[in-house]
Amino acid sequence: MEQDEKRRNFLKYLGASSVVVGTIGQGVLAEEQAQTSNESKKPHYGMIFDQNKCVGCTECEVSCHKVNAVPQGQARLYVQNKTDPKTPMEKRYVRVSCQQCEDAPCVNVCPTKACHRDEKTGIVTMNADDCIACKYCIVACPYDVRFINHETKAAENCNFCLNTNFAKKQDPACVQACKYKALVFGDLNDQDSYINQILHVKDAVRMKPTFGTKPSLRYIPVVKVGV
Amino acid sequence: MNEAIEFTVGFSHGVEWGWPIGVYLLLAGISGGALIVSLALRYYKRQVEETPLLKAASLVSFVTIVFGMVFLVGDLEKPLYFWKILINYNFKSVMSIGVLALCLYIPLTFVLVAVVFEGWIKEHLSATPLSKLFFLFPLLKALRPAVEVLAFVFAIVVCAYTGFLISVLVRFPLLNTAILPALFVVSGLSAGTAFSSLIASFFFKADAHGGDMKTLHTIEWPVMALEMLLLFMLFVSLIVGTSFDKQTAGAFSQGGYSALFWFGVVGIGFGVPLVFNFLLGKKVAHSAFAFYLSGAASVLGVLSLRLFILYAGQTFSA
Ligand code: SF4
Ligand code: SF4
Repeated sequence: MEQDEKRRNFLKYLGASSVVVGTIGQGVLAEEQAQTSNESKKPHYGMIFDQNKCVGCTECEVSCHKVNAVPQGQARLYVQNKTDPKTPMEKRYVRVSCQQCEDAPCVNVCPTKACHRDEKTGIVTMNADDCIACKYCIVACPYDVRFINHETKAAENCNFCLNTNFAKKQDPACVQACKYKALVFGDLNDQDSYINQILHVKDAVRMKPTFGTKPSLRYIPVVKVGV
Repeated sequence: MNEAIEFTVGFSHGVEWGWPIGVYLLLAGISGGALIVSLALRYYKRQVEETPLLKAASLVSFVTIVFGMVFLVGDLEKPLYFWKILINYNFKSVMSIGVLALCLYIPLTFVLVAVVFEGWIKEHLSATPLSKLFFLFPLLKALRPAVEVLAFVFAIVVCAYTGFLISVLVRFPLLNTAILPALFVVSGLSAGTAFSSLIASFFFKADAHGGDMKTLHTIEWPVMALEMLLLFMLFVSLIVGTSFDKQTAGAFSQGGYSALFWFGVVGIGFGVPLVFNFLLGKKVAHSAFAFYLSGAASVLGVLSLRLFILYAGQTFSA
């Protein structure tokens, strides 16, 4: 009897916690739906990085370098090994790249509008010709994911391959390169998109959300079960 | 931090805005501060003649801001493209607003120099082709009250904007505070006062211990006290803040930048003027040596402050 009671409590607890997680997910979704209706079908591109699937092979980095002609020694995309040294067998990797903020400080501070939001796609990108390399955007970015390209001498960020693969209606280079499907790219405003289907069923988080810039990248963290 | 997931590397090189920007921030502060103080004094004392202080301050404000521009443009990685900033404006950007303010402020300081030095110019430049422009003087004279008011207003704007410029950087707890613009205005006042008094007494023969210099000498201490208070507030806001803020408070106690703070800002900027004016007796305090030394120390102190804020600020990030 007593055992049974405990079990029931445990189940109740589980139920409650999933309700909490569920409502959080719903909150984000509702917010996104509201945006869809009043922004009349403008796309909002986003990306998911699934930490459970990433093995740290860095194929995405290599492919990004090639497709976007990023100079050697520089990167728009980096995979950081965040494995806890105390548990070296539990590998953890994290994608480091522009978070494609909806309220992007880099766009707000750029004095020449070289760093801007692309009219059609809403993607934060660059017009290298107008950049004077003042580095204001670099210090303003809360995620520290911008740099001055040594060759073009202009600031740069991950723009979902806007001028390369995206222009050819292909997925970003990193997404194409990932053999483990750890990366998903798509339109968050399209309710039927694959990226939304995943977000419906998995708990994804935004990186450092307290900065309040509303990143469009979502991370599915490794969560230990059964401990 | 204890997030479910996070990354801890970045693509920048730590301090992206280095010493040229620090020097620019100092020069802009001196320029604005010098004009604010000298014009305020002129209004307050209802002066109509060209005082040595006004001569010094107008010259200082023009020359320092022009040198400031050299540092600012020199720090761009594409300095030859700086004109792009003059044709593209983004009104959400503090930098754009600052550039706009500077585009008005620099000509204003130039005009002020021209009217204040009218006598000297007519005397020394009448043999040059520039004398053809002398017919403009009556016009400038008519505009002078407006020029002075505008220059005064824009001097405050320029001082404050340099603070806002870096206080919008959310990644850095030492910079991202409401106190910073105020601190920059106040420290600009103290550097501007010090620098223009030095010039006024050295080149324009102002009596180092009488008249305007004496007035400046009395307001110097409340300004310094305010500067200390603002720094103290900044420090307290960090130690009672989030874990990032607390970490950032370490800028005051560890590493090379804390030495810059205690030696440069506190020791030279506050300590030297205080010691020479109050602790070593009246005789020393009234010497020309003490006058020049404490003036130079104030300016150095403010330079240290700008560099400390900039370097330590960009070293500790959230
Ligand atoms: S992550 Fe940085 S570079 Fe990317 S949009 Fe946000 S502020 Fe801009
Ligand atoms: S570095 Fe270039 S893109 Fe960045 S703020 Fe300056 S001008 Fe704009």
